[in-house]
Amino acid sequence: MHPQLEILLQIQDLKAQHRELSVTEGERQVEEEEFQVNIENALKQLEEKIQELEAELGPAIRSRYQRISAGRGRAVVPVINGLCYGCFMAIPTALASELTQNNDLRHCDHCGRFLYMIE
Amino acid sequence: MELREFFNKDAVNLDLKGETKDEILKELIGLLGLDEKSESILFKMLKRRENLGSTGIGRGIAIPHCRSLVVNRLRVAFGRKKDGADFDAIDQQPVYNFFLIVAPPLEVSNQYLPVLGKIAQFAKEPDVPARLEALKTPEEFLSLIEEKTSR
Repeated sequence: MHPQLEILLQIQDLKAQHRELSVTEGERQVEEEEFQVNIENALKQLEEKIQELEAELGPAIRSRYQRISAGRGRAVVPVINGLCYGCFMAIPTALASELTQNNDLRHCDHCGRFLYMIE
Repeated sequence: MELREFFNKDAVNLDLKGETKDEILKELIGLLGLDEKSESILFKMLKRRENLGSTGIGRGIAIPHCRSLVVNRLRVAFGRKKDGADFDAIDQQPVYNFFLIVAPPLEVSNQYLPVLGKIAQFAKEPDVPARLEALKTPEEFLSLIEEKTSR
């Protein structure tokens, strides 16, 4: 897997955790009540880790990532059954086959999001 | 939504070998049958979730969970460690039974929270720790889940 893609995936996963704890009422409640998580501390920890990982991105990739995040929310999305799961447009077959091992950092021609192939 | 539908016997291990939290998390992740790189990313995410607060909810049960792009649908696994392991549980007691839950960040059917809630409720049933300890086969585990959570 492309090392920068691995960082992008981690950032996206941490952002998903952050979103759960900050805006998803049910999940925040479960984390607080069942697992006794201190939500404020957890959000702070996640934000710090996200910033740390963002700093590990190369300048051009970080710039693209920030632009997409600001405009479209999720900057990296899976390709499932040949579809970009950001804009739900079909990915060209040639691109899909190049993505199989996730060794290259590629983006959707339609929405610009970074792509990650998932089985 | 029946909890039983999410489990299969290949993702049940009644004899975990790991001694530490990290080893047990890796063993549980191994039950999902992901590729090596996805396993590595998922391990990091689960560790980060554990750093926010242990998922050991007491009574010998832990429910490590997170959302991650490495899965394309909700995945669950169960592992049992007969001798127990230190998992920094809320009650500071060893953990014997581990339920792993991983879901993609975006789920059309939004099953993550109901599954997490159902497993947490299951874990609170008074006879569950003893019933889990007595299990001899993965099939018995599946039957127990069905018996306790089917409505």
